[in-house]
Amino acid sequence: MTKAVTNAGHKNSLRGQVAIIGIGLSPVGKVPGRSPLWLAAAAAKQALADAGIQKSEIDGVLASPAMAAQFHRFSVAFSEYFGVQPTFSNTLQVSGATAATMFNIAAAAIHGGLAETVLVVGGDSLLSGLTPELALRSLTESRDQQYEMPFGIPVANTFAMTAHRHMKEFGTRPEQLAQVAVTQRQHAARTPGAQQTAPITIEDVLNSKMVTSPYRKLDCSLISDGGAAFVLTSAERAKALGIEKPIYILGGGECYTHEHIFLMPSLTTTGAVQSSGKAYAMAGYGPKDMHTAGVYDCFTGTVIMMLEDLGFCPKGEGGRFVADGQMTYGGQIPSNTHGGLLSFAHSGIPGSLFHFHEVVAQLRGECGERQVAGAELGLVHSLGAGFATNATTILGTENTL
Amino acid sequence: MISLEDAARKPLPSPDADTAALWRGLRDGQLLLQHCDDCGNVQFYQQGFCRHCSGENLTHRPASGRGKVHSFSVVHRAPGPAFKGDVPYAVLLVELAEGPRMISTYTGGKPDEVTFDMDVVLLCEPVSDEIALPRFRRA
Repeated sequence: MTKAVTNAGHKNSLRGQVAIIGIGLSPVGKVPGRSPLWLAAAAAKQALADAGIQKSEIDGVLASPAMAAQFHRFSVAFSEYFGVQPTFSNTLQVSGATAATMFNIAAAAIHGGLAETVLVVGGDSLLSGLTPELALRSLTESRDQQYEMPFGIPVANTFAMTAHRHMKEFGTRPEQLAQVAVTQRQHAARTPGAQQTAPITIEDVLNSKMVTSPYRKLDCSLISDGGAAFVLTSAERAKALGIEKPIYILGGGECYTHEHIFLMPSLTTTGAVQSSGKAYAMAGYGPKDMHTAGVYDCFTGTVIMMLEDLGFCPKGEGGRFVADGQMTYGGQIPSNTHGGLLSFAHSGIPGSLFHFHEVVAQLRGECGERQVAGAELGLVHSLGAGFATNATTILGTENTL
Repeated sequence: MISLEDAARKPLPSPDADTAALWRGLRDGQLLLQHCDDCGNVQFYQQGFCRHCSGENLTHRPASGRGKVHSFSVVHRAPGPAFKGDVPYAVLLVELAEGPRMISTYTGGKPDEVTFDMDVVLLCEPVSDEIALPRFRRA
């Protein structure tokens, strides 16, 4: 690991100031009879037990909103449900990018003195908890009511148009998209609790039903129930608590390039370039230094584009990169080793928290037969709304400080 | 919250204070683009400020109606019950001859005719007394 030229020493940098000291997951997949608040609280209880602290020690709560729970202030409703009265709290919403922003903002809040110990938490039940009315709302109300919705454009369609253009510009093949789904299914098969573990082939993906071209059913992420939670605190407090393997936040970055898909500056190069660029600069590490990654994978083509924009391979090479085995074990950057949104679980915004759970577990060396040997540096990239929102967080062990 | 009955109806745009002129224009068969008198920027959609220079001297001018398909995706699984009867249909990301891009759908042919960079022409299709949607057919 060689340090790049950075702003890591900048006095305002978050680098190494805050550590993740506890992680927790609720049951995921199909979890009938459990509310989003229960899923979030079940994960939070685990995260606190993992950290070895009491809930009274939590003074900050950052949550993502839940589609299947009609609370305007999910973080506040969660705090009541969980029995905590934080002095710092918010519900963040930048679609799929929310997860990484929760870590970046929690770290900033701790570093800036707004809170000492923050619970980052999300839970939703898209599979079991949505009434038909709520499911419809989620399908029809996420795009602009004047310029997009009247044309029957599901959010999947915005991502599909970016992948389609990528195929046109760089010759990316349907088989290469399919390889992402196949690889991640192989990963999920080794992940206890993953929603989909049955092996699939490239042919299975190419023969699955067309949803919105070029995406077929197996190119699309799952619909799931589930929650995840994390305890973050200052590096000093992590030490004082005697945390065995604190995982440090080394860098964070975000980028918001557009709201409407027709104002996306380029369909094939995204704000992930800027968000990861900022995160790498803060961390003092580059893409070649990363040992594992959680790459937002709402669709297979999304992963291919992100592997390029996060700097793991040159622009246009993403299809060949995945076909060449570079996103799995033995390749350049084992990614989504839990199976990702495509095979582990996708319960809406909390889906990207699962990537964080996996990368932290990898850096702690707790992944058993799916462990990436010697993983000390990891990146998580979250994105949403047809690449409108992008956020990156870089994590590392004590050795990487 | 949306009701089941509402969901079965196609969503119609509700023009706002910024965009009334756009929808009036479409009803009259014209796609209006905003030209900034200060910096020359041409923008879609209508708003109170130029997105480039923040100037407020904006003039509406009708677009030529010509454009190219920058990208597209053929929808086979409808986003809700209102569009079920229409599948498969091609959603287009059209790059207008004047520069701006917009979302539309292909009309006047089968969705599998659509190709990248295909020349297309605007067609304003009335969907209610007040609203006409800008669609595109092959040039």
